[in-house]
Amino acid sequence: MTFLSDSALERLRVAADAPDLTGTRYHLLGKLGQGGMGGVFRVDDSTLEREVALKVINVAYLDLSARLLQEARVIAKLEHPGIVPVHDAGMLPDGRPYYTMKLVQGKRIDELGKDMGGIADRLRTFLRICEPVAFAHAHGVLHRDLKPTNIMIGPFGEVLVMDWGLSKALAAGIDSAESGSVAEDCAADPAAVVATAHGSVLGTPGYMAPEQRNGEIVDQRADVYALGAILEFLLQDAQPRVPARLAAIWRKAKAEDRDTRYASVPDLADDVAHFVDGLPVSAYPESIVSRIWRWIARNRTWILLLLVYVVVRALLILFRPR
Amino acid sequence: MQALAEDTGIGGAQHRFPQTRWSVIQGARSSQPEQRQRALDVLVSAYWKPVYKYIRLHWGKPDEEAKDLTQDFFTRLIEKNLLDRFDPAKARLRTYLRVCVDGLVMNTDKAAQRQKRGGDVAVLPLDFESAEGELLELPIAGPGGPEEFFAKEFARSLFGLAVDRLQNECQAKGKSLHFQLLELYDIDEGGRQLTYEEVAGRFGIKPTDVTNYLAYARREFRRIVLEELRDMTGSEDEFRREAQTLLGVRLP
Amino acid sequence: MNKPVLGLVLGGILGIFDGLSAWFTPAVRSQMMGIVIGSTVKGLIAGILIGYFARKVNSLALGILFGLSVGLLLAYGVCAMQPGPNHYYFEIMLPGGIVGTIIGYATQRFGQQPRAIAD
Repeated sequence: MTFLSDSALERLRVAADAPDLTGTRYHLLGKLGQGGMGGVFRVDDSTLEREVALKVINVAYLDLSARLLQEARVIAKLEHPGIVPVHDAGMLPDGRPYYTMKLVQGKRIDELGKDMGGIADRLRTFLRICEPVAFAHAHGVLHRDLKPTNIMIGPFGEVLVMDWGLSKALAAGIDSAESGSVAEDCAADPAAVVATAHGSVLGTPGYMAPEQRNGEIVDQRADVYALGAILEFLLQDAQPRVPARLAAIWRKAKAEDRDTRYASVPDLADDVAHFVDGLPVSAYPESIVSRIWRWIARNRTWILLLLVYVVVRALLILFRPR
Repeated sequence: MQALAEDTGIGGAQHRFPQTRWSVIQGARSSQPEQRQRALDVLVSAYWKPVYKYIRLHWGKPDEEAKDLTQDFFTRLIEKNLLDRFDPAKARLRTYLRVCVDGLVMNTDKAAQRQKRGGDVAVLPLDFESAEGELLELPIAGPGGPEEFFAKEFARSLFGLAVDRLQNECQAKGKSLHFQLLELYDIDEGGRQLTYEEVAGRFGIKPTDVTNYLAYARREFRRIVLEELRDMTGSEDEFRREAQTLLGVRLP
Repeated sequence: MNKPVLGLVLGGILGIFDGLSAWFTPAVRSQMMGIVIGSTVKGLIAGILIGYFARKVNSLALGILFGLSVGLLLAYGVCAMQPGPNHYYFEIMLPGGIVGTIIGYATQRFGQQPRAIAD
C-alpha cells in the first residue's frame, strides 16, 4: 500500500473535496467554509471577471442533490438587499449540483463581539436582520436555520442573511386554525420527510424552536423563535445592563408555546422598534405610573425647558416689583 | 457545463444507492464462509496498519508483541463474532474496533497468546516492516488523543488503498499519465510548485490536458474513496458522517 | 411639518402664553390685547427665524444658541419700545430667551428637512 505523509493526506483530502470546475467558467481560489450539506468555495468567474462564492453539495449528501438546487431556486426568487443574490446554478462535471452567489466580504455577527457597539446599535442591527426574514415570509419562505453564524455584516454595515439550505417554500392555502397565518403541509413536501428519514437535524440546537426539534409542522413562528435567540445573543454582553422590557421581548419570542410567541416577524420587529423609541412594548405590561414615568424620561428635555419657563414666569410674577 | 437537470435525473445512476447494501458488518455476520472472508479481507486491508501503529504508539508495545496482537485481533474479529455487538447507531465502526483493540491488549496474556499462535490460527500475511517504517515518518508527539490518532491512521490507510486501486484502474484503462499527474501534484512533495505549463512540457502534453487529466484522476480518486468507505460503514448515516470527516472538514 | 413651519407654530403658541402671562402684572393689564398680539407676533418672528436657521444648520448646540439669541434680541426690542421709565428688561427678556431656547431645541430635534432633489 502506498504510504501517504500527513501533507499528502491533506492535499488529497482537499483535492477530493474541491469542486471539479473543468470546462466551466470558474476557477477555484479557495474554500470559504462548510455549511450543512455543502461546502462553499471562493471562485473566479472568468466571464464577468469577478469573484463569487460557489456552493457545491458535499459528496456525503449526493442523494440530497435536489435539495441544493431547490435552495438555489428559493433564494433566486427572493430579491432583497438582505438576501445574498444567486447568480448561476447547474451541475459540475463530477455530477455534483452547485450554485454561485455574491461573495460577501464581511464578518459574521458571532465574530463581531464588542465591535457591535452599544444596545442601540445592536438593536438597529437586529431590526435589519428582521427585514429579509419578514420579506421571505411574505413570499412564503421559511429560513429554518437562523443563527449568528448565518448572518453577516458587510463592509458598509449592510446585513445579509445567509445559508438558506434548510429553507422551505411553503404550500399556499393550507388550512390553519389562525386565519391569515401560513402553515406547512408535510405530506406535500417530500423534502421534509427525507430530512427526517435521514435522521439529520433540521436546524441548530439553541436556535431551533421546540416544534422544530420535535419534528412537528413548523410555520413562521419557528423563525421568530430563532430571531428571539439571536436577539438574546446580540445583547448577551451589551453594556449597560439590558433593561427588563427588552429581555421580555426576546423571552416572548422564545416562548416554548408558539401560540404565546409573536405571531410574525414584523410583530417582533415592531416591539423592538417601540423599545428603541421609548414606547410601550407588548411583551412587558406596565402600570400607568411606569408608562408616565417613561414618557417623561423620553421627553425630559422638552419638559425641563417648559418647566424652567413656567418656573421663571411664576417667579417673575410672584416677585414682581409692586 | 451540463444544463440544470430535472430533479429525478440529478446525479445520474452512479449516485443512486443500491437497494441492498453490502458492508463488512453484513459480511462478518454472514453464515457463508466466502462472505466472511471477504469481510475480513476488507477489514484487514483498511485497518491492519492503524491497529498495528495504535498498539505500538498508544500502548507502547514492542514490535514483536504488537505484531502478535494485531494478528490476534483480526483473527478474533471474525472467529469470535466481535462485530455482532456493533450498533452503527451508537458508534462508528472504527471507534468500535479501536475499543475492541483496547480490550484485547488489556486482557491478553503474552504466554497464552504465544501458545495460541502455535495452534490452529492462521497467520495473516501482513507487511509489518513497512508499517514500522511508516511509524518513523510520524511526528513524535502528534496532537489529539487515541481516537484522533486512530481516525487519522484509518484515513491514511483508506486513502492509501484508494491510491493503489486508482493506479491499477488507470493502468488498466490506459490512463497511467492521469495517475502520474495526481501523484505529482497531490502525493509527492513539491509538485505544487510546478506550473501546468512546466508539467505539460515535461510530459509532452498541452496545459489544458494537465487540467483535464488531473480533474479526471481526482474525480476517480474521490469515487474510489467513497466506494471503499461505503463498504466499511454499517449504515448510510455512518457513511455520511465518515465521508464528512474524511472529505468535508479537516482530518482529526 | 418642516422646520420653519414648526418654529412658526411653536413660536406663535408660546408667544400667546407669554403675552397672557402679562395678566399677572396689574400695571399692564389694560394693555393686555396689545401685549398678547405683540407677544404672538414676536413669537412668530422668532419661530420662523429659528426654524429657518434649523433648516440650514444641523447642530443642536448652535440651534439652541441661535434661538436664545433671537429670543433675547426680540425681547430686548420689545423692552426698548416700552413707554415710561420701567422697561421690564428682566421680566421680558428672561422668558423671551427661554422661549427662544425652546424653539431652537424643538426645530433642531423635530421637523422635516427639505428633500434633496436631483437635477
